[in-house]
Amino acid sequence: MELLTRFTFVSACLFAEWAVTFIAVANCSISPSEMNGDSALKLPSAVIPVSQKSTLGSFYSLSLSSTFPEDLEVNEYCTELLRIYGQRYVTFANCLVTYARPVRVCQNCYTGFNSLEDIYKNISFDKSAPGNVSCHDSLMRSDRLMLLYTLFIKLDEIWTSAECKQCLNEDQDALSNDTLYFMATLNQSLSCFEQYQRNHTELCKDCKTSYKRLNEVYGRMEKNQMLCIDLEDAMNMTQHLWSKNFRCLLPREETVPVIAVSSFMLFLPIIFYLSSFLHSEQKKRKLIHPKRVKSSSSLMNIQDKFS
Amino acid sequence: MANISKKVSWSGRGDDRGERTPLLNGAEDGKYNRHLSVGGIFQVGRLSTVDLEEITPEEDIVRSRPKEIPHNEKLLSLKYESLDYDNSENQLFLEEERRMSHMGFRCLETRRWVICGLIGFLTGLIACLIDIAVEKLAGYKYSAVKQNIEKFTEFGGLSISLILWAVLNSAFVMVGAIAVAFFEPFAAGSGIPQIKCYLNGVKIPRVVRLKTLAIKVFGVICSVAGGLAVGKEGPMIHSGAVVAAGVSQGRSTSLKKDFKIFEYFRRDTEKRDFVSAGAAAGVSAAFGAPVGGVLFSLEEGASFWNQMLTWRIFFASMISTFTLNFFLSIYHGKPGELSSPGLINFGRFDSDSVQYNLYEIPLFIIMGALGGVLGALFNVINYWLTIFRIRYIHRPCLQVMEAMLVAAVTATVSFAMIYFSNDCQPLGQDNTEEYSLQLFCADGEYNSMATAFFNTPERSVRSLFHNPPGSYNPLTLGVFTLAYFVLAVWTYGLTVSAGVFIPSLLIGAAWGRLFGILLSTITSSQSIWADPGKYALIGAAAQLGGIVRMTLSLTVILVEATGSVTYGFPIMLVLMTAKIVGDYFIEGLYDVHIKLQSVPFLHWEAPPTSHWLTAREVMSSPVTCFNRVEKVGRIVDVLSNTSTNHNGFPVVAHTTENDEPGKICGLILRSQLIVLLKHKVFVERASSRLSHRKLQLKDFRDAYPRFPPIQSIHVSQDERECMMDLTEFMNPTPYTVPQETSLPRVFKLFRALGLRHLVVVDNENRVVGLVTRKDLARYHLGKDGLEELHLAQT
Repeated sequence: MELLTRFTFVSACLFAEWAVTFIAVANCSISPSEMNGDSALKLPSAVIPVSQKSTLGSFYSLSLSSTFPEDLEVNEYCTELLRIYGQRYVTFANCLVTYARPVRVCQNCYTGFNSLEDIYKNISFDKSAPGNVSCHDSLMRSDRLMLLYTLFIKLDEIWTSAECKQCLNEDQDALSNDTLYFMATLNQSLSCFEQYQRNHTELCKDCKTSYKRLNEVYGRMEKNQMLCIDLEDAMNMTQHLWSKNFRCLLPREETVPVIAVSSFMLFLPIIFYLSSFLHSEQKKRKLIHPKRVKSSSSLMNIQDKFS
Repeated sequence: MANISKKVSWSGRGDDRGERTPLLNGAEDGKYNRHLSVGGIFQVGRLSTVDLEEITPEEDIVRSRPKEIPHNEKLLSLKYESLDYDNSENQLFLEEERRMSHMGFRCLETRRWVICGLIGFLTGLIACLIDIAVEKLAGYKYSAVKQNIEKFTEFGGLSISLILWAVLNSAFVMVGAIAVAFFEPFAAGSGIPQIKCYLNGVKIPRVVRLKTLAIKVFGVICSVAGGLAVGKEGPMIHSGAVVAAGVSQGRSTSLKKDFKIFEYFRRDTEKRDFVSAGAAAGVSAAFGAPVGGVLFSLEEGASFWNQMLTWRIFFASMISTFTLNFFLSIYHGKPGELSSPGLINFGRFDSDSVQYNLYEIPLFIIMGALGGVLGALFNVINYWLTIFRIRYIHRPCLQVMEAMLVAAVTATVSFAMIYFSNDCQPLGQDNTEEYSLQLFCADGEYNSMATAFFNTPERSVRSLFHNPPGSYNPLTLGVFTLAYFVLAVWTYGLTVSAGVFIPSLLIGAAWGRLFGILLSTITSSQSIWADPGKYALIGAAAQLGGIVRMTLSLTVILVEATGSVTYGFPIMLVLMTAKIVGDYFIEGLYDVHIKLQSVPFLHWEAPPTSHWLTAREVMSSPVTCFNRVEKVGRIVDVLSNTSTNHNGFPVVAHTTENDEPGKICGLILRSQLIVLLKHKVFVERASSRLSHRKLQLKDFRDAYPRFPPIQSIHVSQDERECMMDLTEFMNPTPYTVPQETSLPRVFKLFRALGLRHLVVVDNENRVVGLVTRKDLARYHLGKDGLEELHLAQT
């Protein structure tokens, strides 16, 4: 579980960074004025300048020097869609990064994902576009990079592997009741931990009931496949606290009886083999002398040769 | 005549022949001695009996009393007979062939294909049944024990869980062992040695019966579910063979049901071909390795082979894998998905981290040598254990008790290991361990010793192959290897039906993984090439190769089971090394067990340094012969003589009164004589028989393979005086050799033609002796040169 979390986190980080850079660039090339929008401002300042300086210059010169005939240009409606897509993408990616550690992405970013998905669907299933070229074709399938598609698919993959849908209700617009209940139980445990933080032996004794209930709830949800990365991570942390930090481990108390029973069991075969060796009649084989040319001639010939 | 006096002195010591007798290459003049000694034989030899099925020391009875010795490996049992692979080309056969049209032969060929398809299908079904039953039963057992352990970890009383586990194990094993020990002892073990013998041409009683199959399948399910250190793969081969023997005959004598189909195939030659197809289908179902199955049949039973047969066997193998896949896909809820492999699933080795490089080859070879040494150790210990078992634990109830004890101890050892293990690992993301135990580990972690012990062996193998690096710590693996090695050695040879493939693989995988881990700690830790899973695979191959010593077929089986040809080269190298190193110490496990069963097994070649032995020394003499037209009374007397249980009788032109051996004109088998007696084919009845239908080859086939004993055939006093004409029924052209033929030459004839009887004649074509399988099998190369095995009654 830890591995998964870490991996998701790292990839999310990397990806978000990468995605954000690209968005910035794309945005710039289409409508430079939009760059001052709120989304770009939120970006960590370290990310933008590096790529901006080098790529932006060439982009500007390219787009200025050559314009395509009108029918090949992206029409305004599509440009508008593209702009909204960009904004929502940035918002969602930003949200993912913000809640990456400890993982709270499902709880906090589902609105972002839903709106991104909406706009993506709008673009893909767009039929009402003016003109004969649909936005789907002009935005998504005009070049081999297929940037919008790839960007969305990557985020969608992250969302799927986080299994966030299992924590949300059917309409995907709020956390499900079970999730809320689990979080309430978790909070109880955590507050109990806080209360006894000084004395670990007390903590192990007194918080056991709430911790146990938490485990039960978790186990039930696991069976019903209602877990998402948030809950798994929270549970993981709690278990780590419980076992590693507070050292509430089960004591190994029964070494003596286990050894006693084991040695008794191991003793049985020895008795068995000894008694069958002593009491069982040894199986004897009756030798039979085959009839040869002369009685045992071959043997004798051999002996002759031997001598 | 110094020779004679010497002989006398030796014969005086005839009594202490119980010991092993070294045979040495003699001096040149030995030949003359033999010639001299032959002189007196023919006068002495009456026309009594021979053919080694059973020999009584009539004349020697005074000088050499039957001795009793404890069982050892240097014996040949009288219990085993040969199969009749040589086709008897008598007149009936020729007639039938003449009657058969061209279409008839076409039909036969088609029928052979249909039978092979059926064999594959049924074998696949049985594999499927075993797989599902084991999975269900083991699932119930492990979840019960797991719940119990979880409950008691918290509140105390884990020793009760231990007892519960031990009792459950013993109960399963008890049921299986009772079935085997009391109902069908031949279903014990993996069955591979038995099938090997069968394909070699030895008739092991009851080995290919339906009852054996039923007990085998039931026993395997019980012993695997009972948690013994065994696998279900070896018995699949036996099961396949039984299915083949049953289907090809179109009837079951156990069920007394005759479907009246495939009657043409009711003889040993045809049956053997189908049995090799069945064995191949079994291998292919067990490992998902159709080509490996074909090669297994080729390697283990290939004294008789042709291309069409290979192709048919391959067909049966493929059908069997396909059937297994198809039904398992239905069981797993994905009908039609055919890509899942056989019973044991090694998983796929295709990620980048499991590639290998040139500089790893020496390491693989070292591992191969290690596997050879460990395999030899396994075989040696098991050899002594088996001797002890044969000598002392031969009563069925003792055998059942022993099996139960082993099961209980297996559970105990496993539990103790798990209990005292401190190796905790975090749970994997997709929870590959179905029965993971937490015990005293931190929450969210599991006990890694439990993945190895608290699991069916197949799953353990898979987790050793595929769990990511760091899933086991070296101490766990070391202790596990040691414990499992002891358990596996102890378990093989119990009276339960179970195979040795999986335990070997498991031991090998454990130390192989350990090897890999140690390697990566010695070298810089960042190196990718020391992926422990890869070394687990190589270790498994080395250990298995060291124990069973199969070569070509095992390579292909492992390559197919892992699904990557990339590993063909290292696996081959490893198996080669393991075999070379292991053979230096002791033979393969199956050969050891064949020897201990006192089976007259013919190896590929006659023992070296045996060219000086001639047919005269090898043969049995004098021979019981029949005349062309023989008196019924004499035939009945010879057949019902309990002290001689011969199966083949040379038919001679006519014997003179002074016991001169007659000229050979044919060979007739006991089974044929019995059928003749049963149908009362007497010369005196010939006139009345005209109204009857003439005896056909079909009548002989109907009696096959369980010819009634002579005692069940009633011959009245009048009939005893009748005569019987054997001309029509005997094989008129039996193979013969002159007396001076060397042993390797005789051996080659036997091995290549699948002979049962070889008549030794003098230069006037008179019968002087008869060579059978046991005459040849008794020579083998020991430590001090050629040794002779003793015949014994078992």
